[in-house]
Parts: sequence; C-alpha cells; structure tokens
Amino acid sequence: MFRLTITRALNGAKVTPKPLFIAARLQSGEAKKPEKIEVFIDDQPVLVEPGTTVLQAAALIGVEIPRFCYHERLAVAGNCRMCLVEVEKSPKPVAACAMPVMKGWRIKTNSEMTRKAREGIMEFLLVNHPLDCPICDQGGECDLQDQSMAFGSDRSRFTDIDFSGKRAVEDKDIGPLVKTIMTRCIHCTRCIRFASEIAGVDDLGTTGRGNDMQVGTYVEKLFMSELSGNVIDLCPVGALTSKPYSFTARPWEIRKIDSIDVLDAVGSNIVVSTRTGEVMRIVPRVNEEINEEWLADKSRFSYDGLKRQRLVTPMIRDNTGALKPVDWEIALLTVAKVIKNAGSNIGAIAGGFADAEALVAVKDLLNRLGSEALCTEHTFPLDGSGTDLRSSYLLNNKIANAEEADLVLLVGTNPRFEAPLLNARFRKAWVHNELEVASIGPKVDLRYSYEHLGDNPNLLQQIASGQHEFSKKLKAAKKPLIIVGSESLERPDGSAILSAAQSIAAQASCSKDWKVLNVLHKVASQVAALDIGYAPGVDKIREGNFKVLFLLGADENAVEKSDLPADCFIIYQGHHGDRGAAMADAVLPGAAYTEKQATYVNTEGRAQETLAAVTPPGRAREDWKIIRALSEILGVKLPYDNLNDIRDRLDEVAPHLTRYGSAEDANFVSQAQELAKKAKVQLDNTPLDVKIKELQDYFMTDSISRASPTMAKCVQAALKHQQSKYQ
Amino acid sequence: MASQGMQRAAREVKPILSLDRDEARKRVLNLYKAWYRQIPYLVRQYDIPRTVEQCKTKLREEFTKYEEIKDVRLVDMMVIKGQMELKEVVNNWKQKGHIMTYFKDTVEPKPKDFLSKFLQGKD
Repeated sequence: MFRLTITRALNGAKVTPKPLFIAARLQSGEAKKPEKIEVFIDDQPVLVEPGTTVLQAAALIGVEIPRFCYHERLAVAGNCRMCLVEVEKSPKPVAACAMPVMKGWRIKTNSEMTRKAREGIMEFLLVNHPLDCPICDQGGECDLQDQSMAFGSDRSRFTDIDFSGKRAVEDKDIGPLVKTIMTRCIHCTRCIRFASEIAGVDDLGTTGRGNDMQVGTYVEKLFMSELSGNVIDLCPVGALTSKPYSFTARPWEIRKIDSIDVLDAVGSNIVVSTRTGEVMRIVPRVNEEINEEWLADKSRFSYDGLKRQRLVTPMIRDNTGALKPVDWEIALLTVAKVIKNAGSNIGAIAGGFADAEALVAVKDLLNRLGSEALCTEHTFPLDGSGTDLRSSYLLNNKIANAEEADLVLLVGTNPRFEAPLLNARFRKAWVHNELEVASIGPKVDLRYSYEHLGDNPNLLQQIASGQHEFSKKLKAAKKPLIIVGSESLERPDGSAILSAAQSIAAQASCSKDWKVLNVLHKVASQVAALDIGYAPGVDKIREGNFKVLFLLGADENAVEKSDLPADCFIIYQGHHGDRGAAMADAVLPGAAYTEKQATYVNTEGRAQETLAAVTPPGRAREDWKIIRALSEILGVKLPYDNLNDIRDRLDEVAPHLTRYGSAEDANFVSQAQELAKKAKVQLDNTPLDVKIKELQDYFMTDSISRASPTMAKCVQAALKHQQSKYQ
Repeated sequence: MASQGMQRAAREVKPILSLDRDEARKRVLNLYKAWYRQIPYLVRQYDIPRTVEQCKTKLREEFTKYEEIKDVRLVDMMVIKGQMELKEVVNNWKQKGHIMTYFKDTVEPKPKDFLSKFLQGKD
C-alpha cells in the first residue's frame, strides 16, 4: 500500500504543483542554498543565482552588453549608462551592470528601445569627446571608438561646435608613467575605483558636478602607486595613456608575443608588443592564478632599459685594462684557454635573470670540468633540510590562494614592492575577506592596515613558544599564512628565522592542503636555480680560491673583485653592461628575457616560458647556446644542439621545469620542519630589515631597470613628491 | 575492398614517356650523352673559366645528385627538364652567368654543425 502511494505521488509530481512544493521544502531543509531563478535574455531562458546582475546573466549565455564604467574586478558604479537594456513591462530601460535580475524577467538586449537608449548615450558622450582619434594613442584599441561604430548613430546632429564648442578640461600631471588628456575623459571612474580599491591609493577622485565634473588628483601630485600603469589599460578611452609609449606605435602595426615577466619573482604573464625589431610596450595578459589582469609598474615600464647599456659584442680586457670588442671566435678561444688552464678550479654565480636552460647548461659544463662550485647570487639558509626539500623555499600556498587567507604574518618582507601583485591579493582579502595582517620587520606602508609587531627576530621565537599575544590569533585562524621574505633569510641567522617560521607554521590548525609557510623570493631565477641544484649564496666562491669565476648575469656585487684571488679570471655572461660586466675580464653578450625562448620558475614553483619577441642585439646570443659553444671548444661537448634537446635535459634534471603553466606542489613540510630543528644557529638581535622600503627604492633594483630612463624618471618623481606639501 | 581500390588507382597512373624503368634509364643515358657531347662546344661558346674536364665532372655530379629517384614518372619529368636546359644551352638562350650558376661559386654553404651556426649567428 505504502509503496503504491509513493509511486503515485512521484508520478503526480510531474504534473501537479502540490508535491513539487513539498520537494522544494525538502531541498531547502537539506541546504540553505537559495533557489536559482529563471530569466529570459532575448527569449533565451537562463537559470541564475539570485543577486546576479542583468549584465552577468547575459554574459552567461554569451550576450555581451556594451559598457564603459562596468569592470568585473571593480565595484559597480553604474554611471556611464551605456549598458541600458529594456526589460519587458518596465517603463524605463534599466542599467544592466547594476540591476539584479528578478524572477521571470524578459530582458531585451537588442530591442528598438535598447538600441535607441544606447544611441542616445553615445551621442551624449560624443558631444563632449574630442574628435582627435587620428592623434590619440588609444586609437585602434579604444572602447569608445569601437562602440560608437557598433552602437552609435550613423550621422551627427551636433551643431554646438558653431556656438559654445566642446567642453575642454585641463590635463593633469600625475607622474612620468601615465599621460592624461582629460578632455577625452568620459567619467567612467574606473581609474578612481582601481586606485582606491585595488591599489589602495586614494589619490584620484572627481570634482564638480554635471558638465563641470573632472577626474583628477584635486591638487597637482604624483599618482603614488606601484600599480599605476593599470589605469592605462582600464581607461576605456584615451584619457589615460602610457607616457613612454605615447606616439610611438599603433596597435595594428605591432606584433604581439605572449611572454613572462622576470623583473620580480611573481612571473606575471605579459604581452610584448614589438615593431621594427624593437619592444614598443609591455602589457599584462590575464592569468587568474598569478597576476589576474594587472601588472606592476617596473614590469610594465622598464622595457626601455632593454635598449640601453646593452652588451652587443664579446669583449676581452686587454693589457691596458680596457674591455676591447672582439669577435666570438676569439672570445670563446680566449675564455676556453683560461678555463682549460684552471682545470676544475672554476666557480659560477647565477644572477637574478638567469633562465633555467642557461642554468642547466652552466651546471652541466662545470660538472664536466670537475667543479661543483655553482652558486646563486641570493643566499638561502643551508642548515636543516636547506634547499633539498622544495617546500622550504617556495610560496607553497600559491599566489591566488592568498585571497582566501584570514591571517597573514609577514616576516622581514615588504610585499608591496617585492611582489606588488601578491600585495594586491592581500589587499583584496583585506577589503573583502576581513584579512588580518601582522608584520615583523621595518614599519612600511603596505596600503592596508596591519599590526606591526616589531622588528626584532626574537619575536618569532616568542610566537613559536606561545608567549606572544599573536600566537593566540594564529591558533584561532582557519587559514593563516606566514610569508617569509627572502631577504630575511639572507641574514647570518637566516636558518633560525626559517626554522622559527616553520615551527610557528606547524602550530596553526588548518586543513592539510592549506600550506602555512611561504617564502617570497625577489628574483625570477632563484627557484629554478635551487630546483636545478645550485647552492644558495656565494660563500663557496669566497672561500674557494678559484682561478676562473663565471658570472651568469650576476650584477648585484655579491662577490667583489677584492674577495677573489688576484689572478682570478672573471667571465661575465649577460645582457647588460652593469656591475658584473664592469669587473669582468671577458664579456660574453647574452639575450634578455624578451629575446629568447626560456624557462623561468616563479616563487610559487610554477614553470613558465618566455617567447622570443625580438632578436638579441648585435652579436648577442641566446645564453645556453653560448655555454654550449664554449663547451665544444673546451672539448667537453654538451649533448644538446637545439631547444628541444636542452628541454629534454631540463626534463631529466627536474620534470616540473617543462610542465609549463602548472605549479608543482611541494611536500615534506613536516619533515623539513623536523630537520630545521637541528639547525644550530641562534636568532640574533639585529632588527629585521628590507632594502626596498618606499616607492623611490622600488623602481631601480636590477640591471634592466637600472638602465631604464623611465625608471630613473620615476625615482626622480617619487623623490620630488617627498618634498611636496601634498603628501 | 580498400586494397582493390588501391590497386585500381595504381593501375590507372598515366605514364609520361616511359612505360618501364629500363626505358626511363635509356632516356637518362641518352640525355647524359647529349650533354656530354655538347660540353666542348659549350665551353668555347660561353667562354667560361672552366675546363672541359671540370664541366664533365659537374655534369656527372648533376646527374648523380638524383640517384635515389626511382619513380619512372619523376625520372621522365627530369629528363624533359634536362632536355629543355640543353636546348637553352645549344641555342644560346642561356648566358654565361646561367652556366656558372651550376658551379655555385658565390654560394656559401649553410652552416651545419652547432658551432658554425653559433659563430655565424644563424639557426
């Protein structure tokens, strides 16, 4: 009997509304997930969550509604009115970007009323927009241009030009990176929202109302942000354009090559635009895992450093002590002769821009010569597990997951300038997720509030032993993160800091796949170098009494000439005539990151490859090829002739190096922590410090940015801003 | 079924000149002989800085270059092209430079091994 009724009820459920009601109640009892609502976009039904805006609902079925002010990563403003659409039975069109959908709405994105509304908005916008597209840098990639073609009227009824003329607005000077032509502004306020929400710099705002409204900085001052370049991409018109790029190229005449940025360890995805064999500009490429769609200013604007101070020909130091240009044959023969005489008495230091291919080639070469002295320029503690376990030197929890954190402890790092995009993630979590941040280290401006615990490294010990107030918070946190700056690990007591951080991390109570301990590197090559098996730090070189020292792009003066024996022959291979080349006896010109197809591993352990956008200048060659050629002359020929061969070798050394795009997880966290306990170094009392504290320190940190005139101007502007009364 | 179709297709190939390999071979030898006999006249006619002997070696070289080609249709087609070239030589339609291009005096060989590619900056 019972069974029968149930079958009846189930059969009936298809037609009668009553059992359906029961079913719905049952469902709501199980989970409190709100029911999806059905709306119709151009008569196509779509099921969406309540609270979805009309624009998002339309995007779900591939209908794109035109917009200027709406941007998915910014708050909704709803002031451009371009996204007006008709909703059936509604007397007025609604702004799709701001209006949440209601059940059963029939939205018409292409009706007469909608089209009329768009045309009207376009007309109003163009009344006060100058007709200077032919001389505008945005021309060809301008939203206003495109949308006026698609949605605007085909004829003008603008006659005001004969009477009062168009509105004109004074241009603002907001620094050496962003050029403003404010007459072109359509008041979408994207730049203002970006500055206050993502960059955390409330410098931009509006003054006046209606026709007198202006976007600007109120007083004349610098747009003091390390992310300022992003407002150029956000601006839908040509009001904010790139100053270094202005009037240099048009979007239809440039070639775009997808690549990877190497100026910090984040590994942002970029597009390199080239024309006539020159890099014209660098813009970000969307990668949700790393940089979303933003890019830091140093990565975006230091490309002009790639054209200056370049090493274009091999050079040998002659009797008079001057570097004389020679051709490759002579350079390689000279270098080979010196290396042969030195035997196994040779060391190598890898700098911050070295790619994985070159690193492997140098290591193979030196190993074949009988030397194991391969170091990276930047130190990392070797006590405990050292660099044997990857988990102790990676940003284990990945960049994107930083958004979910609820408590972050920064140890001796200034993420705002060491990894601006990671800092943007922290800020995002701070805004939307009520992230709490605490810092041990110098007091710096991170553009979000944080608890400054002090700068004494012993605080770590206190937190680890539970004496400090902060350890309670840490225990309560569900998703805590400890970010250890690589700079703090370069100290003599670096291993003690790392081990203290590891023991703090072990106390946190969180799920297993949430990795608490994270190391933030500053240079792009470090993780790959450690993966391949380079020893961190140059102590080996100082002690080794080497006859030959090979510098692979090492420009930070980690080893000075005075540290080396007098007869030590220094070979520098790299792309810029910087500190390394200055002390070298032989210079071998290599390729910069825009000129080679090369592998880099970012701080979270993600292997990515750059693609060659331009050819290396002069007689410069790809780095691994130089080593390969040298090896042949030395008589220890390396077994790779082309890129595929050396990629196979990379794969042999560490398979993750060729799995482009994916970040290989590191394990053995607990083992690393156990080993770290054996470290004998004690924390000392010198306060934790970072090199880059303020904006002016950020711009010129490596051989490329030091050669860049734009970066020099930025430093000047930042210094000048300090004198300004409008701080 | 499929193999039958293949066979039919193979049978329907139209010959260019020769019906079998022997015939094609004869045509090649004939062409070779014709060139061979023309060479003394060619050297005089075009006043090239090469001896008759050198030209004969070059002729042999040009023929042996295609040793591996066994397809009768290909051989025939190349014989036709060779005859055309010969006709151009005999009728003075070619000029001195055209003859000299057989010797590729000015063409530098492309670098083959890694090191010479590296030194010349070519991939």
